[in-house]
This record gives sequence, structure tokens and C-alpha cells, in this order.
Amino acid sequence: MEKRGSAELLNAEQNNSKNASSDSLNSDSKSSSLNSKMGQESESWEKASHSKSFSTSSTSTDNNIVSALEAKKENQGKNLSGSDTGPPLLNGERVQGVAREVTYLCPYSGPARGVLSVTNYKLHFRSIDRETPYVVEVPLGVVSRIEKVGGASSRGENSYGIEVFCKDMRNLKFAHKQENHSRRNVFEKLQQYSFPLSHKLPLFAFEYSETFPENGWNVYEPIAELKRMGVNNDMWKISKINDSYTLCDSYPAVWAVPAAATDEDLQASAAFRSRGRLPVLSWIHPESQATITRCAQPLVGVGAKRSKEDERYVQLIMDANAQSHKLFIMDARPMANAVANKAKGGGYENEDAYQNAELVFLDIHNIHVMRESLRKLKELCFPTIDETRWLSGIESTVWLKHIKCILAGAAKIVDKVENHKTSVLVHCSDGWDRTVQLTALAMLMLDPYYRTIKGFEVLIEKEWLSFGHKFQQRIGHGDEHHSDADRSPVFVQFMDCVWQISQQFPNAFQFNEHFLITILDHLYSCRFGTFLFSSDRERVQEQVKQRTVSLWSYTNSQLSLYQNSLYWAGPHYQLVLMPTASMRYIKPWKSLYCRWNPSMRQQDPVYQRTRELLVQKEQLEKQVMECRREQASRANRSLTSPAPPRLHSPVHS
Amino acid sequence: MDSKSCNNFVSYVGFEEHEMQPLGSSRRNSSCENGIKLLPGELLIAKAQNVLMFSPVGDSKQGMSGVLSVTNFKLAFVTTDDTNGEDATHQQNHLYGYTDTCLTNVDAIYVIAGDKKRRLLPGNPVPSKVKGIFIICKNMRTWLFSFKFSPLKDGKNLLTALLHHAFPNSHHRLFAYDYKEPYYSSVDKGVQLFRDISDWQNELDRTMRNRGQMKKGWRISSINVQFKLSDSLPQYVIVPASITDSQLNNAAQHFQGSRPPIWSWSNERGAALVRMSELHPTITERTQENTMFENIRKSHPQILAPIVIELNKDISVKSVAAGYSKFVSLCSPENIRQFWLQDNNFYSLLESTRWLKYISYSLEKAVEASEHLNLGTSVILQESDGRDMCCVVSSLVQLLLDPHFRTITGFQSLLQKEWIAAGHPFCDRLGLVVKADTEKSPLFLLYLDCVWQLCQQFPAEFEFTETYLTTVWDAAHVSIFDTFIFNCEKDRARAVIDPNYPLVLRSVWDWREQFNDQDILLFYNPLYNPETSCTTVKPLYAIPCLELWTQCYFRWIPPLEIRNGGRNHIELYTRLIQNDISRLKVNANGSCASPVDKITTYLLQMNIDSFYPFSNRNSDNTTISTPIMNSSMLVTESLLDAQSLLNAPD
Repeated sequence: MEKRGSAELLNAEQNNSKNASSDSLNSDSKSSSLNSKMGQESESWEKASHSKSFSTSSTSTDNNIVSALEAKKENQGKNLSGSDTGPPLLNGERVQGVAREVTYLCPYSGPARGVLSVTNYKLHFRSIDRETPYVVEVPLGVVSRIEKVGGASSRGENSYGIEVFCKDMRNLKFAHKQENHSRRNVFEKLQQYSFPLSHKLPLFAFEYSETFPENGWNVYEPIAELKRMGVNNDMWKISKINDSYTLCDSYPAVWAVPAAATDEDLQASAAFRSRGRLPVLSWIHPESQATITRCAQPLVGVGAKRSKEDERYVQLIMDANAQSHKLFIMDARPMANAVANKAKGGGYENEDAYQNAELVFLDIHNIHVMRESLRKLKELCFPTIDETRWLSGIESTVWLKHIKCILAGAAKIVDKVENHKTSVLVHCSDGWDRTVQLTALAMLMLDPYYRTIKGFEVLIEKEWLSFGHKFQQRIGHGDEHHSDADRSPVFVQFMDCVWQISQQFPNAFQFNEHFLITILDHLYSCRFGTFLFSSDRERVQEQVKQRTVSLWSYTNSQLSLYQNSLYWAGPHYQLVLMPTASMRYIKPWKSLYCRWNPSMRQQDPVYQRTRELLVQKEQLEKQVMECRREQASRANRSLTSPAPPRLHSPVHS
Repeated sequence: MDSKSCNNFVSYVGFEEHEMQPLGSSRRNSSCENGIKLLPGELLIAKAQNVLMFSPVGDSKQGMSGVLSVTNFKLAFVTTDDTNGEDATHQQNHLYGYTDTCLTNVDAIYVIAGDKKRRLLPGNPVPSKVKGIFIICKNMRTWLFSFKFSPLKDGKNLLTALLHHAFPNSHHRLFAYDYKEPYYSSVDKGVQLFRDISDWQNELDRTMRNRGQMKKGWRISSINVQFKLSDSLPQYVIVPASITDSQLNNAAQHFQGSRPPIWSWSNERGAALVRMSELHPTITERTQENTMFENIRKSHPQILAPIVIELNKDISVKSVAAGYSKFVSLCSPENIRQFWLQDNNFYSLLESTRWLKYISYSLEKAVEASEHLNLGTSVILQESDGRDMCCVVSSLVQLLLDPHFRTITGFQSLLQKEWIAAGHPFCDRLGLVVKADTEKSPLFLLYLDCVWQLCQQFPAEFEFTETYLTTVWDAAHVSIFDTFIFNCEKDRARAVIDPNYPLVLRSVWDWREQFNDQDILLFYNPLYNPETSCTTVKPLYAIPCLELWTQCYFRWIPPLEIRNGGRNHIELYTRLIQNDISRLKVNANGSCASPVDKITTYLLQMNIDSFYPFSNRNSDNTTISTPIMNSSMLVTESLLDAQSLLNAPD
């Protein structure tokens, strides 16, 4: 009998999977679906992963349940007009072009022939040569650039077509038949509707006309949020000095400052801070009154300029906290960068000038370093993963080191505020990238409110949107200049940090991972107005609230999809989270960065199982209640003393 | 043999007595000498006064003062300002304290003399001035003691004693031989030790569900009752029915370790999992091997040819040990500086240890084998002498395919069958006795880590928790139990009848010997749901899909403790929901008058850190706990009968 070596068997298997994922052209092409939102899509994914190896009946993952539910909901709202093969359309969405006999070159399951449609919102591909149609959908807002592959002289199958590079870690390749001349039209439509701003077209958000039961534009009301934190109080007051955005055009109209500060103080401080971004309140500790304030760098310059008024104003911030006679100024940058900024008129606070202030540099690198780091991560994760060098590959992208640095910085702020009752002033250069990462993370760790779904929406609205993180420049909505130096994944990095914290504290967040990924999907999609433009001033000017739908309308109308079944708001739940910023715990967010790769799709039955248990508990509670009620009514009939039914209270509800 | 009567006897009396015990107390007869608790048979050997113990991975600036002692069982540190009293929040072992270390757990001893630190090997001279010692344990715990304030000779004496007793050169110097506590086994009856023929018969019946056709292919042979066929095989082996004992005898000589192919498991299609060793390297003629393959083919109900999976490619006992030693240094940094230095390159350092690669390899082979078995093909696992990787892969395959082994008793039976009876050389691999020609290698930990990976990927499929797995690894270094101290059943059988060194067999599966019910409760996975469990699970095994077992490897590194956080909160939260469900069920089923207060309750600690129950929460002394019904144990009737629970007095 011939002996079959196992290595041989193994190779055979590997070869098979290689064939599936990497024949010539496909090797660096890319697959798949937008998010796992479309039912069909996730169905085909599941099929792909099954054929690869897994087969248990329990593979219906949490994600898939969610996606199925969501797809159902979404379909209800969809205008299903058009031909049977046409893409499902949103309200306000119109098909702009259709190409038949297009081949989608999936890096995992091989080429699929089908129909490619382009609408004013998305690219939609549906295979016709497979039993279960394979569907790929990408909102065009996700597209970073589009390239033609091959020319008139191209030979060989699938060598002529279009490659679409996306902002969400994937590239898609479509092969066209040269003789059909379908490519030109598709390419043009893709260009127009992926980059509407470069073609004098409106962003899709302004055409989208869905209505939702919830209005997300009401989620954040600046004064209500300040009131929640107890402002106005003795020490802090609400200021409307920026009502018409004249003092600082990238700040919101309303903010909180020390009660002792006069309008002249504010003006003088704004004059000494980059872009007029003077120190204002981000968060105030409900007990100690220690605060987190944010601003931009002081305009120190090479001449070591000082501003008595700014120094006095910073002193007022310190004085507003009676618990401590010290103030920490956390400069997010590496010291060298802060020094270099002096040449451009910026710089950092001199500790001699700002008495009682201690300056700490947090060593976080700038937007260009982060962009490059994520680019490397994409290279590593897409389309296929070299598993033998995965760990060192992750290290070489430095992405996780940056994450660690940001988390460590935020934890430092939390430590000062919570454990030392000392106020912290945070800035970087302009105070709209690293600064907001730090303040928002610190607030998330300090205040359980921001760990609820609506609280997290408020956090994003307040710290990110209203205080002028430049979403338009960082994401480049509808803009074809894909290599623009202003682009950077600052917000993605923040969301990654949130995910890291949620990994260390699995009960602390009301929302699940799917919520974070949904937000990131719509960061690019341009379907909602939420992330459009770079400041409140612009959003008011463009009437974003009146003319577009808020992402929170969409999420808050289907909250159950985003609920973390492990969320535990019981009596002993943790108020302040102190994550451990060690590389031993910081992990690549595979379900985000590697989500297009079916072999990386992991199941998460923890959530499924806890959800089951919660349902069981609920049913039993009902049952007990009914039993009580029945008994009570029986007792009523016999005696006449009514005993109100009272639910037995479980341990921690 | 004592062992049999001992192991088959379940003392109901002892069981009930135990139930009456106040929680947290030990039932052992321990004596106290100079503040050190000594077990019966335990002797104090050396002692050093005024020793400073530093917290691990710290800055070595603040220490805790106490007395450090060496006995024939442990290295014990007793401090006067001890905070580990009754309200301790960590797992409490009846046999040794939180700041004690079993001598068999000691892996490496470094002496600090002057400004230098060097490793001391058994037999090395001990310097006259010992400033301090640094110890790395096999379970990765580290200890740093300073003799700065000790009487002059104490340090040297203590170190000399430690070096001598921690690395014994003969087996009977293990404490199991000295331990004098009488033993009445209360091991769960469901755990099969695979020493008696009945266990093998039951296993054959269980897997073949009495399908005659399948059973015809295999038979139990008693050929090795006197260990004459092979030293390392158990007394009873299941072999193809077509081989006679004399053929078997003849064939065995050709194989390494005289180990012919042995049946491990069959699935419902009749495909068998078989483990075998390779032919002796000097034999070039493969007839014997082919004859064996042919016999295994004949044992298949459809006479299908088996597949051979070789387990010696890309992995070896040596390479696992080499990778692991690098891995250990990554998990046991000596101080905080080294910790952060490692942190800078943690991912590439981790890759260079190849530890995850070995896990990936083991899982991959198990998946490969399980796929063949699912298709109805018999699988032969082959390795030089079939006592290392064969154990890993064979027991993994059965976890993937047989839900029975995913229960606690099932898992313990599996370890008995595939590791202990099959002759994994535990004594050598764990380095219990110092001998020249032995190879230490953490194959068993490799396996436990693989199982942990499965638990991560299929959290509702296993009855046990990671705390259980970590505790099994710890228990492998407690030389009181016989389970993991022998190289094979033959050695065990010999030891039991040796009149010079009498030995009582105590199974490590008798968890109540070590822990109280509250700690045992944490072995049971509240997410486990046998009703909806899958018959087969298929893990992802690529390195990017694997995780690092932080509880087992990082639990002794205080900077890595997540305060009030960690994945164990999932378990805690689920226990609370389960508890609510149990109470509601009682309410819904019974009368509405609440009988809840009649049920035995356990205290569940609510504010836990990420390494609970292994770390000691010391910075915050308020512990919050809530009484819960023993709901996870209710599921397993083997431990507690639900009805008796309901009727039990408070």
C-alpha cells in the first residue's frame, strides 16, 4: 500500500486555495462587499467561507444575524423599481450606467461574470454565472481613485478593465470585454459620481431623501450637553462669543470657559493661539471639578513671544479647580515636532511663563505618519495575508505602536484628572487631530455616558464635529485628489482606540463592534450629512441639517442592531476605565481591516449566546410575573385584599 | 494494587462532610512550624529570616519582609504583614499558599551576588555571599527575594537547600512519596482512568454505539498486561481484530518504542483514529509497516485504506522546547525596564519564539485529520515513538469531533486516554527529575494552549473555562498527584508496588484535594450549552486567527492586570444572568413563595480584575460579592444533585 504523506495532502490543499485567490491578474485585486450589511452579500460570503473549510451549522455569526436583520430593514425602505437584475435603490438614488458582461475578479473566490451598475450612490455588481448570485456593493464615497487597467493592445483574459481603490482597505478589479466598449462609460460614470465635487455635482447626501422615525440631528444639543456636565456653575460659564463664528471659524457657536474670564480675555487668548483656537472646556469632573480643556498651540515662534493674557487665561482654568494648584499641559506631539513648529510661528508653552503648569509631551506623530502607517497595514491585510510573517508584518506597519501611544496619552490624562484631581489642557499644533483623539478618548474612559450609544454619538458630534476636525480634508469626500496631503485616518485611528478599550472592558460599552464599523462605513459613504464638511460654520452655511439626513437617524432607528449584549450597567459597573497600554494587549482590529478576507472571518458566538440567555431571562420574568398576577387575582377572588404583583428582583438588574 | 480500590471508591460520606464545611477552610491536617504550615510528611529544611520579597516586574524598591523557607515540598514565604487572609480574592489552594511555590514548579534559579546575576544549575557551587535570588517557575511566575537584611548565612543555606531539593535526581524524592495524608478518592465517577479493561471496553462501546459491524474490526488485547509488549503502552490496547497477539508481538519489535498501531477513537462512520510510531530507523524494509496499514484497512467497515499523517515534519520535541524557552523570557520579564523594552518589539519577538506557529501547526494537523475522519477515512497519526505530537493531535482531533470530550469529565478522560495511558513521558517533559538523557519540552502546555484557542473560537462548546485549563497546567507542577509525574503506566504500576518507597496514588482530577467549591465553580463555563452544541467544531488555525493566552502567560505580570476589566468579565456577567435565570425558574416552576433562600449559594466576586482568580487584588481592599445559586453545577449532575440541593439545609 502506498503511503500518503501528510505534507503532500497539505500542499494539495494549499494549492487549491491559492488558485482561488491568486491567479495572475487577480493577485492584487480585491474583493467584495461593502459592509456586511447586504443580506445577499453576506450570504455569498458565507458560502465562500464554507467552501474553504468550515461547515458547522452554527456559522451564522453575530455579524450575519445583524446583517440579515439590517438587510431586511433596509430592503423595506428600498425602492425596488427597475428591472429584476438592477440594483436595489435608496430614495433619491438613480442608476447612471449599466455594463453587462463584466467580470469581477475576486481575489478569494475567483472571477465572476455579471452586471455592473453605477448609480449616483454606489457601484453594484451582481454575478449571473453562479447559483447564488455574488453581489458586490460599494458606496462611491468609499472610492479613493479609479484606474483603467490594460489598453487597446492588452491580450489575455481579464487583462482589460478598471481597478477601483477604496478608502476602506480594499481594491476591486473588474474586467471588461474590449469589443463591448463598455469600459469607457462605466469609467466616466464612476469618476463623476465617486468625485461629484470635482465634477460640479452634489454629494449624494443632498439627494438622499429617506425618512427615519428618529431624527439624529437632535441627538446633540451643545447647551444640553454642557448642562449635563453641570455648566453653568460657579466656575464655568457658557459663552456665546463665537455666535457668528468670528472669533474662531473652526469652533462651534457655543462653548464653556472659566466663569472668571471676560470676553477680552477670550479674544486675547484666541489671538495668541493657532487659528484662534483658544482653550475651552471639553469635560468637567462631576465631583472634583477637574477639567479637560482643549486648544491649539500657542503662537510662540522663534522670538519666544509671550502673551500675558493667555497666561492669565490658562491660570483661570487652573483656578477653576479648587482641588489642585497645578495644571498639566499635555502637548500631544513629540517634543522635536513642537520645537520645529516654532519656526512656523507656533510652539509650546514655556513653563516659566505659565506658572504652576507642567508641560508633558505625548509623542504622538502627525497625520502624514499615520496615513503612511495605515497604507502599510492595508498592504499587509489586503488582499491576502502572508501568515508566516503576520506578526512581524504588523509590527513593521507601526500602526499598533501609534495606537498604543494615543491610548497611553489618553490614560495619562485620565490619571491626572481622576486620580490627582488636576485639570489638564490638551493641544497639538492646530488642536483638531491629535487633540481630539486624546480628549475624546479620555472622556470615553472617564464618563460612562459616552459609552452608551447616544452618548457616543454626542461625543463624536461634540468633540469631533463641532470643534472642527477637518473631515472634508481628512477623508476627501467627493474629491478626486486622492494623494492630497491633508488626507489622514485620524478618525479611524480614534475608532480603533475605542475598539481596543472595548476589548479590555467587554461589559463597559452599550454598543458593539458593528456600531463602530457602521459609523466608519458611513464616514466615507456620503449617504448621510453627518461627516460632511469641516466645521459647524460650513455646515450651517450649507444647511446640512435641513438638507441631509443624519447618520444617527439611521442608527437610532434600529438600535437593537448595535447593542452589546454584554453591556452591564449594574450597580458595580466601572465608572472610570483605565486601559492597559501595552503592546501585549493591543491587537490588529481584524474584523475591520481584514474583513474582506473570508478566511479571516471569525465567529463570535459569545454575543449570540448571551443574547439567547437574555431572551430566556426576559421570558422567565414574564412567566413569573404572570404567575404572580394569577395568584394575586386568585387571592383577590378568595380574600379581598389585593396584593400588588411584584416582580422578584434579580441580583443585578 | 491499592490504586484500583482507591480510584474506584467514591466516598459519599466524605462528600457530604465536605459540603458541611465552612467555605475557605481546609480539611487537611496541617501542622504549623514557625508560622509555616506543613503538610503531613512535609519537613522544614532551611529557613532565612528577614527576607524581602519584591513584587514581580517592579522597580525592586519596595519589598515585603518575611521568612523564606524550603521544605521537601515547597518554597514558602511567610510575611508578618500578610494580607492574604480569609478575604483573599484569589484562587486558594489547600496544599500550598499564595506566596508558596511547589519545588517541582521551580524552573530556573538565578543567584544575585555582587552586581551580577547568574543562573545556578543543580550541582553548581553556591557563592558564600548571596545578595538575592530570582526564580522563574514552570508556570511563568517569578520571584525576587533579597537577603540584604537576613542573618549572614541564611541566604546561602537557603539557596543550597533549594538547589538540592528543587532538582531531585531520583523519582522517589518527589513529595508524592513523602505525603502522609490518608487519601479517600472522590474523583468524579465519570472520569475514566483507562487503567482497567472496562474503561477500554466502555470506550469501544461508546464510540461504536454497539454497532456490531464496526466493532468487529477492533479488539481489546491484554498482551501488554505485564508490559512485555511495550514499556510505554498501557496494559490494555485496542488493535485491529485481524492481528493476533503473536503477530502483534512480532510486529512491535520493528517499531520505535515497540509501539505498534493502537486504536484511539472511531466516529459513527467507522473511521478510526489510530496512533503509531515509526519503524526503527535501521529498518529499511517496510513490510511490517505495510502489514499494519493493511490490518487497519481491514478494520474499516468498508475496508477503506487509511490516510497517514506524519507529525514529525516542521516540529519536534526539541524545537518546541527551544521556541518555548524564548517565549518564557517574553512572559517573565525580570523588571519593569525589561518589560517595556520587550513591549517595543513585542510582535516580532513573539514571532521569533514560533510558539503560535507550533499551535497553528498542531491545530492544522488536527483539522486535517478530522476532515478525513468526517469523510469516512481512517487516519493514522505517525511520529517517531508516538508519545508526543501524537498525544497533542490525537486528543485535539477528538475534541473537535466528539462533544463528550468537551465536558470536564470527558476532557479528563481524554487526557487519561491520550496522554497518560498512551505514555506521554510527563516526568521527562516537565523536567521533574534531573537526568542526563531526558528532554524537557512543554508539549502538554502546547496542547492546553490549542484547547484554549478552541475555547476562544467556540466559547459555548466547552464545559470548562480558561481558568480550568490554567489550573490544569498549574496542577501539573504539584508533585502530590500521580497523574503527571510518571513517564508511562508501567512506571506507575511499579512505583505502587515498590515496598521501599510506598506511594499512594492521588488523582489530580480530585479537585477538592486542592480547592474549595467556590474555586471549582469557576471551572464551569456559564456559556456552555450542551443542548445546542455542535457535533464537530472546525477552528481557524492560521496564525493571524490565533490569540495569546494572556491568563496563563501574563497573570504574574502586575503591569498587565486590567483593573476591573478583562475578558473574564464576560464569564462573570454570564454567571449573573444564569443565576437570574435559575432563580426565575425556581420561581416560575414552584409556588410563588420563594424557596430561593433554601438553596446552597456561593459567593461570586463582583469586582474582579483581568487575571482573577489568579492575581491578588491588593490596592483596593473592598471586595464586593453576591450570593449566587450554583447554577453551572446544577447542569452537571455528576457533582451535585439538583434535587438534594433544593432540599439541603441552608
